[in-house]
Order: sequence, then C-alpha cells, then structure tokens
Amino acid sequence: MKNILPIVTIVLALIVIWYGAAFKMNSTWTYDQAARAGTEVTFSDLLRDTMQQSRPLLPAPHQIASELWNTTVEKKITSKRSMVYQGMITLKTTLLGFVFGIVIGVALATVIVLSRVGRLTLMPWAIISQTIPIVALAPIIVVLSNAVGTGTLMVPKAIIAAYLSFYPVLVSMVKGLTSPDQMQLDLLRTYGARQSDVFWKLRLPSSMPYFFASLKVAVAASFVGAVVAELSTSAISGLGARMLIGSQFGEPMIMWAALFAAAILAGLLIFLVGSFEKAARHLMGGRAL
Amino acid sequence: MKKLLTSAAALAAMSSGAFAADDVTLQLKWVTQAQFAGYYVALEKGFYEAEDLNVTIKPGGPDVAPVQVLLGGGADVMVDWMPSALAARENGAPVVNIAQPYKSSGMMLTCLKESGITGPEDFPGKTLGVWFYGNEYPFLSWMGKLGLATDGSEGGVTVLKQGFNVDPLLQKQAACISTMTYNEYWQVIDAGISADDLITFKYEDQGVATLEDGLYVLEDSLSDDAFKDKMARFVKASMAGWTYAAANPEEAAEIVLDYDETGAQTMTHQVRMMTEVAKLLEGSDGSLDVADYERTVASLLSGGSDPVITKEPVGAYTLEITDAAMK
Amino acid sequence: MTRSDTRAEQVLWPLGFGLLVLVLWEVGVRLFGVSPAILPPPSAILAAILSSGPTLWEDWVQTVVKGALNGLWMGTLAALILAVIIDRFVFLKRGLLPVANFFAALPIVGLAPIMVMWFGFDWQSKAAVVAVMVFFPMLVNILGGLAAVDMMQRDLMRTYAASHTQTLLKLRGPAALPFLFNGLKIATSLALIGAIVAEYFGSPIRGMGFRISTEMGRLATDMVWAEIVVSAVTGTALYGIVSAIEKRVTFWHPSQRG
Repeated sequence: MKNILPIVTIVLALIVIWYGAAFKMNSTWTYDQAARAGTEVTFSDLLRDTMQQSRPLLPAPHQIASELWNTTVEKKITSKRSMVYQGMITLKTTLLGFVFGIVIGVALATVIVLSRVGRLTLMPWAIISQTIPIVALAPIIVVLSNAVGTGTLMVPKAIIAAYLSFYPVLVSMVKGLTSPDQMQLDLLRTYGARQSDVFWKLRLPSSMPYFFASLKVAVAASFVGAVVAELSTSAISGLGARMLIGSQFGEPMIMWAALFAAAILAGLLIFLVGSFEKAARHLMGGRAL
Repeated sequence: MKKLLTSAAALAAMSSGAFAADDVTLQLKWVTQAQFAGYYVALEKGFYEAEDLNVTIKPGGPDVAPVQVLLGGGADVMVDWMPSALAARENGAPVVNIAQPYKSSGMMLTCLKESGITGPEDFPGKTLGVWFYGNEYPFLSWMGKLGLATDGSEGGVTVLKQGFNVDPLLQKQAACISTMTYNEYWQVIDAGISADDLITFKYEDQGVATLEDGLYVLEDSLSDDAFKDKMARFVKASMAGWTYAAANPEEAAEIVLDYDETGAQTMTHQVRMMTEVAKLLEGSDGSLDVADYERTVASLLSGGSDPVITKEPVGAYTLEITDAAMK
Repeated sequence: MTRSDTRAEQVLWPLGFGLLVLVLWEVGVRLFGVSPAILPPPSAILAAILSSGPTLWEDWVQTVVKGALNGLWMGTLAALILAVIIDRFVFLKRGLLPVANFFAALPIVGLAPIMVMWFGFDWQSKAAVVAVMVFFPMLVNILGGLAAVDMMQRDLMRTYAASHTQTLLKLRGPAALPFLFNGLKIATSLALIGAIVAEYFGSPIRGMGFRISTEMGRLATDMVWAEIVVSAVTGTALYGIVSAIEKRVTFWHPSQRG
C-alpha cells in the first residue's frame, strides 16, 4: 500500500490541472455572451461563470461529481435517467460479449492446437480480424442481425463486444494448450494415452493458468466493445448511448457523467475479474506463469 | 397427423380472426420525440386498438436507416423523408409512399448574424453544416439551384457533416447549420443565443422544400389485399392521433415523454416541438398531394452536377391506402 | 506436429480459406436473392472498389494519413517522453503507473464527441482522439519495458560506471523495444477505430467514417463494404509494417529467433 501517497498526489495534481483548463476553455463562451449582451466581464464574474456553465466545453470536476451523484444515488435505479440503470444495460452486453468471446476463443484455440490445417488456416485470419476496425462493421452487423430477425440490439452489440474479447482468450489458450513440453507428452505416450486423453488430462489442465490470466484483458476488451457498439449502433440505452444522447441533445453533462460512470464500471469489472483470477490461481496451488 | 393439422388450422383461424389484433411495426426516422407524437398518441389513446391493430413503434437514431429495417423485415411501415426514400428506391429498395401527414417542410439553415451572412448570395466561401445519412439531399438540390459547388472548389461552399447537435454553430466552426423549426433551432436558443443574433432560411421560403415525414411500405407488400386493409386502418388511426395531438399539444408531449426511453427529453422542449409540428401538419388530411410530390421530384432531379435521383421515379406513391382510409 | 510448415502452406491455406468464404458468400447471396441493400455480393464490392478509386483514396488520406497516423505519432511520442521522465522519479512512477493502467482499460473512444467539440470537425479532432487512445497503452508498455532488465544487468552497467542516461540508451532502452513494439501493435488498430468513430460526430465531407455512415444512409452498401475492405487492408498492412520493423530492430530478442 506504499503506492497510496503517490497515487493520491497524481490524482490531486490532475484535478488542479483540470480546474485550470476548465477556467481557460470555458471563458471564451463567457466573453462571447458578454459581447453579444454588450457588457463587461470582471474576473470574479468570469471565475463564477466558467465553473457553472450548463453547456461547458470542459465541465469542472465538481460539476461532474454532482451530476454523477444526481444520476446514481438520487435517482431510482429503475429510472431511465439513472446511470445505474444504464450501466446495468452496458454490463449485460459486456458479460454476454465476454461469454461469447470466451466460448469462441477457447473453441478456436482448441481447433488451432489440435489440427495443423486449422492452425494454418485460422491463425492468420484471427490476427487479421483484430486489425479490422470493428466500428466500420458495426452498421453492417446491425443490419444483418436485424435481417436474421434477432429483434433487439442486444445481440449485435454483444457480437461486437465478443469480436474484441475473443482474441486475448484465443492467444492465451493457444499458448496454454501448447505449454506441456515434449517430456510430458512423451510420458503420456508411454502410458498409451489416446489423443483425447492427452487433451483432457494434460493440455487442458495446463492451459488453465493462461486462461485465467487472459480473462482480465478480455473483460476490458469486451467492455470497450460494448461501449463502442452502443456509440455506433444507435442504441438508446447503455452508457455508450448516454454519451451519444448527451452529444445529440446538447447536454454535455450527460455525456461527461456517462464517461465517468463507464470509467468506474470498467474499474470495478477489471477488479472483480482480477480477484477471481487471483482466487483461481490460489486454488490451483499458486502456480505462476 | 390429422389432428395436428386441424389444430394448426384452428390456430391459423384464431390468429386472423377476431381474437388477435393485426400486428403492425412502425419504424421511426429519429428518436422518440414530438415529431412523431401522432403515432404515440394513437397508441396511447387506443386509436390503433379500436382499428383492431397491435402496433409496435420502434424509435430510430443517427445510425438507423429506416429503409434497411423495412427491407430486413424488422418493420412493416416506416416514417421517412421523400428525398431519401426516392434515393433508396433508385438504389434498389422499392419503397412506396402511402400517406403524407406532414404538409410543409420544417427544414432551415440557421446562421449567426456575426458571420456576415444576410442572404444566400453571401454563402460562397462560408462553412455550412449539413446532416447526412439521407438528409443531405434537400440541401444539395438547393445548392444546385443556387449554382454553388459543394465539393470545396473555388467560389463554392465548404460543407461540414454536422453531428447530432448544434455545437458547430455555438463553437463557430460553421457559419450556418441545418436546423428543424421544431427542434434544433430551439436548442440554439436554449444555449443562450438570442433570436436577434440569428438569421434563418426556411427551405419552404427558398422554394426548395421537399416532403418530409411520410409513411412508406415495400412495394411487394402492397400486392396483398389484407396488408392494404391493415395499412388503411393504420393510416386512419394515425391521422386521428395527429389531429388529437395537434389540438392537445401538452397532453401529446406528456405521452411522448412517457415513451421516451432515453430520459433526456424535457417537457418544455416537447410542448414547443408539438406546437411547431402542428404548423407543418396544417393542410394535410394524410393523403399525398400529387403537386407537392411533383415539386419534390423536380427539385431532386435538378440537383446540379450530382442530382439526387437521375430519372423520374415510377410508382413511388399510391393514393389507394389514404382513399380507403378516408372512406 | 513433427512436420514443419513450408512457406507455401503458410500462404496457401489461409488464402484458400479466404477464397472459400468469398465464393460461399457470392453463391449464398445469389441463391437466396438477398437484397444488395442488406448484403452485396463480393463481386459488387470489387466493382465498387475499382470504380471509385479516387474517392477511396481521398477518404484514406483524410482518415488514415491525417487522422490516424498523426494521432499515432503524437500519442506515441508523448508517451515515450513522459515514460522517460517519470522513469527517473520513483515517486512519480508509483503514482502514475496505476492511474495509467486504469486509463488504458477505459473506453476512451467515448471522448470522440468531446474532441470534435474542442478541435473542430476536420482531422485535428480525429488525431486528438487517436493520440489519447494510444497514449495510455503505449505508456504502460514502455514503462513495463524499461523495468524489464534484471538486477544483474543493471549492476554490470554500474560496474562500468555508466550514468543514468548511458544505462537508458545502451541497456534499458533496447531492452524495452519488444514492449514498445507490442504496444505499437495494439495502438495501430486502436488508431483506426478512433479515427473512424470520431468522424461519426462531425467531419468534412470526406473520410472513411463519413463515407461509411453516409453511404449506409443511401443504401449503397457496396461502397460501405469497399471502405471496410480498405480499412481492413490498412489495418493489416500497418500491423505488418510494425512487425517487419520489429524483426529488424529486435533481431537479438529470443522471441524473434527460434
């Protein structure tokens, strides 16, 4: 915990810089308005106004804090204005995409490890898939899932989240499944083990530490995917959609609050999955990678 | 096997019989707001139910092309603007106008006076904000009429694809931006710029107005008499909804707010929007005025070097549905 | 497992698989009469690419060269400078690393509408989004890389009486290179995503994100797919270039031999 002091210092420094920037950036509007009204601006007017504009270029930290407080604690969680409600929707997409991502990642890794042809064919495409900007595909994914008749936006959103989250799982699982060395494989052969035994009793168990280690990256990727999906598919609920709606209706405070709510949720998710990983590793006898 | 068949037949009979109402899914062009109040009022007030319809309204958004939802089978009928509907028709999406509740266009170009613009003759060299995603056509045909290039060449205008808000004007990134009389214009006012500091050009006044919110279906579906009957009832109930909404803007706004899933709309803004929308509805009983249609087509065909549509559309509208609805 | 892959196999299998998908796609679309407004056949996409070369080129320059690449070097350079500075001060490093790690996992792309508001609708705002997006992963990777030398190597440098700068240039810098390239590989694909998304929130009338959303509204899906193909090729090429440079520069590292 010796890191607490440095972290607090850095965060405080960031907040001070932020206040300075808010003052500087918001003052243009104050001057413009005064010019339109034909009045003079004193320094204290300027200071007061830049800290409490309703459409600031950069809201002051306390404005964001109070907006967040209003939209989480003060609102019922069933209200559509509640960030908790919106966060739950993004969370649902994230988890669905996360699960899809794990299943696809593990399945592809298995094929790649077990079959030479599978490896030759799929591995290059898996790498290429990650270099394609998924947002370019978002509208197409929505239209196609609509055409197939999924009805809601949940499925296309989860597909986009899964698209980003399967890759870390795939890479780690390929590493994990190929981690048993020749000696271990030879040993099993002397036992007369079949291919399936080698897989279930040696490869799969030895891949587990790699698997758990990939989950933290995968859940973060899935979360980013969920938000990007909500931004680019015209979703009407979820934190990404709040950012869009804030921009659309000219209410920057909604946008900033959603951004910070997303940051908090991402932090929580990564922390939870990280703890899960630690617990799992502990149960497996603390085997390090 | 026989028993199974009979029960299947019984089920079929039930679904088309008096027990279950006909399902209709309506795809809106934009998010839930008073622009579509008539449909929400008809739903809330039971006008659809009275016509034995079970209506689902799907809101749209910045990245939803209603035509694609229609093509994908996600909706039976959509609200769209005629320019984008006709452009889609030329691109192989056979949509047909069946009703036109909006008589006049609410589209405007709103400029800051301090940019020095006093009339369209001041546009050259200025940056103008335009919506895309199918909404750029009226603007392009207006510029075509003025003879101004939009590709950034000398003597033309610089076009900016504006986002979903009025920021480009507030941040002075553009001299003018596109606004609707019932929506974005008031966002500019709400942001603290007084009407005196603004100068607006209505597309109606410039003689380049095109038909806005109309109801469209796929051409194939019109060969089915049951569907036509369903649409006639839908249009009739929708127009009843519009009449009610125009007469009771406060209540209509409240209904819209109830259906708003974003929770970002406000009562003041929606009441104002409904009042403005009511002005655009005046003079329409729901049926398409063929003269308006022809004016829209002519305007789109004459879009300068890059016309919106290249040939006169055929069969792009039908009066059959509204005729049946009026009976 | 015993047979090693020949060069031909490494190329032909994935290529064959890609072709198979394209053929199935073409046949499927034709067989089921899928509307081109929903899913165009690959042949139509190819035709669109061939017939709209100048447009695609203009969009590519706007989005990739002006938006993504500018943002990429700005973000990377900023991360590099900051990393070298805070590496000197243990206090700063302890405070910044957890904060940077946290930011690296955030959906920073959500800043796109804000950046458009701040920096205008042209490429500057796109480069800004990209710079912020790549900054944190780069910072975390470089800092990780600078810490990647073991005590023995450091002690060796100390016995040579090497200064901080000398240790940085001769030992820790080169040791950090594999990490830097790892970060760059992540950053290149982030850069494209950032540049494209930012165009959804306001742009001039060119750019890949602009074209995708506009042509989607016009139902010209062949053009949308043409842009997707261009973006995919660009992403893959950037990744390939980074890998190629990595191979040349870090030829000594175990991961490049073997």
